[in-house]
Amino acid sequence: MTGGMIGGARDAATGYVDRLVRDYSALVVCLIALFLIVFIAGMVTAPNFLTLFNFKTIIRDAALVGIMAVGLTFVTLSGNFFLLSMKETAALCIICFATSMSAGYGFEISFLLTMLIALVAGAAQGALIGLGGNPIVVTLGAAGLLFGLGSWWSDNLVVSFRRPHGAEWLGTGSFLGLPNITIAFILIAVSAELVLRYTKFGRQVYLIGANRAAGRATGHENFPMAIKVCMIASVCSAFVAIAFSAQVSSAHVNYFSSEFGSSGDMTIMVIATVMVGGNSIMGGFGSTLRSSLGAIFISTVDNMMVLHGFNSGPRVLAVGLMIVFSIIVFALVRRGARAQE
Amino acid sequence: MTGIRNWVVENHDLAFAILLAVIVYGYFGLTNEYFATHRTTFAIMERFAVLGLVGLALTLCIIAGEIDLSIGSNAALAAVIAVRFTDGLGAVTAILIAVSIATAIGIIQGYFIAYLRVRAIVLTVGTLMLLRGVALFAAQEKTVMLTDFRVPDFITTKFFGYFSPASILVIAMFVLVGLFMNYTRYGREIYAIGGARKEALAAGVDLKRPMIIVFAISGFCAGLGGVIIGLRSGTAQALGLQYLLLAGTVAAFIGGVSILGGKGGVVGAAIGTLTVNFLNTGLVFNVTPAFMVQLYLGVLLMIVIMFQTGSRIFDRKQRRRQILGDVDARRGPLLARRTAAARRAPP
Repeated sequence: MTGGMIGGARDAATGYVDRLVRDYSALVVCLIALFLIVFIAGMVTAPNFLTLFNFKTIIRDAALVGIMAVGLTFVTLSGNFFLLSMKETAALCIICFATSMSAGYGFEISFLLTMLIALVAGAAQGALIGLGGNPIVVTLGAAGLLFGLGSWWSDNLVVSFRRPHGAEWLGTGSFLGLPNITIAFILIAVSAELVLRYTKFGRQVYLIGANRAAGRATGHENFPMAIKVCMIASVCSAFVAIAFSAQVSSAHVNYFSSEFGSSGDMTIMVIATVMVGGNSIMGGFGSTLRSSLGAIFISTVDNMMVLHGFNSGPRVLAVGLMIVFSIIVFALVRRGARAQE
Repeated sequence: MTGIRNWVVENHDLAFAILLAVIVYGYFGLTNEYFATHRTTFAIMERFAVLGLVGLALTLCIIAGEIDLSIGSNAALAAVIAVRFTDGLGAVTAILIAVSIATAIGIIQGYFIAYLRVRAIVLTVGTLMLLRGVALFAAQEKTVMLTDFRVPDFITTKFFGYFSPASILVIAMFVLVGLFMNYTRYGREIYAIGGARKEALAAGVDLKRPMIIVFAISGFCAGLGGVIIGLRSGTAQALGLQYLLLAGTVAAFIGGVSILGGKGGVVGAAIGTLTVNFLNTGLVFNVTPAFMVQLYLGVLLMIVIMFQTGSRIFDRKQRRRQILGDVDARRGPLLARRTAAARRAPP
């Protein structure tokens, strides 16, 4: 019984590799193998990489980008490409949150205000996209608008609030040894995955993304869907903004621009995460689980390169290579699938 | 007079762009006494040199139905390379190296987009990050600077009051690309793959050739723009120049391109860029902070998009009403004839 199962598994594995080589050209397989070798070698040779503490650090680093990526995945799955305004929504939201906190409104009201702004921003962009505007151009314009509003509101200054405040539990608190941001990331990722798999809304997202004409024919227009998914993405960016602001007790519109983290700006990092996770950019195929894993993967590679002492240039380069690589692999895989039909 | 009216009806996008440009120029010219002067015109032409290139590149991309998101990164890379090598190799060699690398990047992008059959936004968002990494690598994560300032001096020399070598070069580039797009087969192919890609492919257009040409021109323009910015200011940053994408897109859309592709042209790109430049320069004259410029550009882009989307929805409704009207008009007599025939010949 067990022997048979193992044998079957082995057959399945060799069959899988055979099929991989047959369908997707030997080049892709070689590239994947090469990447795996470099990855494992790097993992083994990096000092302090295989420790529990470092593992926790990796997930913590992945959390902020991961939450945004989970939100953006809804947009991508529904066939509306991606929002170029993720970082700018976060910039406006962080200013709103910090201004409201420093005015003494308390955590709850500040949280709700910020979420309200995110909902309005998301709904407006979603409505324009749903009416037939190109998502890239609409959100490029919205990005300029939101960033300008944020700068104007804060006068391009740092807004800070005093340390004992109601949001500390979110920013720096921890529960059972895990930072609360990590827990939030896990909760959001799991619930998003459940929503996509088991609710009517989730199935509609896939339907409209996979085949917009079929969706329209069966009464699922893109207009309400675009509004909903853009609102989800905006709320996720607002949440990230609040968590980050709670962590550093201050806000500035440039927190999510190129200075943030290590690798370029936040929007591109989020899009990179969605792509590296292996979601189809044309929509209809993928999951938020893939995006979460993509975030953890990018964070792992980044962590490894930091431990090896690389500067930001090679690290940005590595993320860029990962995106381009995943695009090429994905396109070739799709071609292979089409050729078989 | 009727000639003018026909022209306006035929080219209403262009007419709208010209109107907008005149309004913006008029507003700042009337409210600020320093705006409509010879010096300001020179400054506007200087800005036109860079933004015009980016606007031209994005116009071509959008005509072909695609968009090049990596244009800022490509420009930053070219700027870093040009500034870094000018001291060692001389300006001409450095410019040649930077521009040819940028063009090569464009060609590779175009080839991959056509070969993999992916949308350009998908690939260029990847190369955006990749090229930023390369630029950081090339600049060694520092701001690179010139030590010899004869090159910036040469670039900003005045000719005929309004022009510098840079802006003359860019105007020549506009004329060349305009002739290419309108009077050669390759140029018409670019319009064809943008406006009706399936039909163009069915009619035997090879997707690779127009795509490579578009992205080669886009890479060339980005590279040249980056080189001009870098060498004019004498410094370059690997993570800079990201604002070019927004400004260039606004310019292209004011110039009358449609996101569906196949529409617009070089003249529109020039006018769109000029409008953005008037706005930019005027806001600077009125002591507006830099971030407000971004706000205005964002608002402008949103308005243009809303206008386009609205007119598309209106067109669709109009067409539907027309079809329904046609059906009604034909059905009426048909029904009448049938009832008459039924009455004449009772069963």
